[in-house]
Order: sequence, then C-alpha cells, then structure tokens
Amino acid sequence: MTFYQSEIIRIRSICYSNKAQVQTVIGTRHYIDNNFDKELNLNLLSHIRFTSKFHLLRLFKKYYGQTPKQYLTDKRIEKAKELLIKGTSVTETCFATGFDSPSSFSTLFKYRVGLPPTEFQKRATFTKSV
Amino acid sequence: MRVKIISIPVQHQEKALQFYTGTLGFVKKIDVPLSEDSRWLTVVSKEEQDGPEVLLEPSPKHFEPAKTYQKALFEAGIPYTQFNVDSVQQEYDRLLNLGVEFSIKPTEMGTVKIAVFNDTCGNNIQLVEML
Repeated sequence: MTFYQSEIIRIRSICYSNKAQVQTVIGTRHYIDNNFDKELNLNLLSHIRFTSKFHLLRLFKKYYGQTPKQYLTDKRIEKAKELLIKGTSVTETCFATGFDSPSSFSTLFKYRVGLPPTEFQKRATFTKSV
Repeated sequence: MRVKIISIPVQHQEKALQFYTGTLGFVKKIDVPLSEDSRWLTVVSKEEQDGPEVLLEPSPKHFEPAKTYQKALFEAGIPYTQFNVDSVQQEYDRLLNLGVEFSIKPTEMGTVKIAVFNDTCGNNIQLVEML
C-alpha cells in the first residue's frame, strides 16, 4: 500500500465516518443543483432534510467548505455564464438563474466574473465568431 | 492577478503531449520551441478551451531536484495534480480500456469520488467528482 492509499483510509475514517451527515449534505447539494432557479433559503433546505437550519448550515460548511448560500451563488453564476454564451438576454438570464432583479444580478455578476453580463456576452459572441 | 496556467513536470514533452491529447482528450493550445529539446507547451480541456492551461514542462529533465521531487511523489502514490470530471466511474472505464494504469480505483471519500492514474510521464493524476 502506498503512503497516499493509507492516508486516504486514515482521513476517511477521521472526516467521513458519519455517513448520515455526509448523505444529508450531498442531498442538500443535489437539491440546490436541481432548484437553483427557484427561491431557495435555509428554512426550505433544512425542511427537506429534516434538520435544524443552523445544523444544516454548519454541516454543509464543514463538508463542502462553503455555506449553502455561497454554493448557490456559484452555481447561479456558472449557469448564467452558460446562458449568456448561448445568446440569452441579460434579463432572461437573470430570472432563469433565480436572481431577483437585473440590476442586482449585473452588480453581482460583474463582481464575480470581472465583467458586466452585457460585456461578457459581447466577448463570448466575438470569440465564437472568430 | 489571474490564474491562467498550472504546471505539470514531465519527463518527455512529446510523449506527454501524446498522452494528454490522445489518451486524456485535452487539446493542444500553445507550442513554442524554446531550445533544441524544450518547448513552451500547453494543453487545455476540450470542454473549456478558454479555461486554465496545463503547462507540460520539462523540469525533471533539466533540474535534478525537480526529478527527485517528482520521483518521491510518484513512489508515495501522491497525485500533485487533479482534474474534475462529471463521472469518475465513466472516465475510469474509458481510460482503463485505453490501457491507463490506476493506483486507486474509483473510491468514495465523503462528498467526493476519486481515482488516481499514472500519466506515463512521471506523475500520479487524480480524477475528482463532487458528489
């Protein structure tokens, strides 16, 4: 057995021995993946997994290193990029990815991607046509 | 500052290029001759051609400590580099068919599934799927 193989076994027994917790956070992540376009909050997510909301928040952060909210935002931005590249309008993209208003969407998008959505779309279209 | 390139030390650049493009399915992006036997050689993910580039750099050939470090990591089974995939099992099956050697078969590690293979250029590479 290599050093790495023995480390995997050791770390798994330290970090992942609680299977129920692992299943809870994996289930929560899948729920976010399938429902990122809807209004999601901790109350709803914790109801689905029958946990208290602060417990779920702690668990998710413990296993994924991000809060559910951070993960959801990443997911939405990733999906927004895909839609914009396909040519979907900014407003349509905003609502299709679960954001509340085009202005808050544009601000967040610019902060995260480095470009406003319109500019991102222009560059993506340009790259495609070259 | 932006992250554009990650480096993988390889023993033979041409052989590495064949493996990373032919077997793994990456696409060659930049290839600049630098000296008689060395190139600035990068590949990118086929699905993400504007994403980060992987620099296949010939350090083990030219710099003894790099060679020593690479060898030590390899023998300990440690993957210094990892790539994300949608399904570790599918990639494992596909690569196994192409003759790739795995030191770790698809294994669940809590919230991820991993597998580790030999890139034939001196490195262990880990595949990761988020569960």
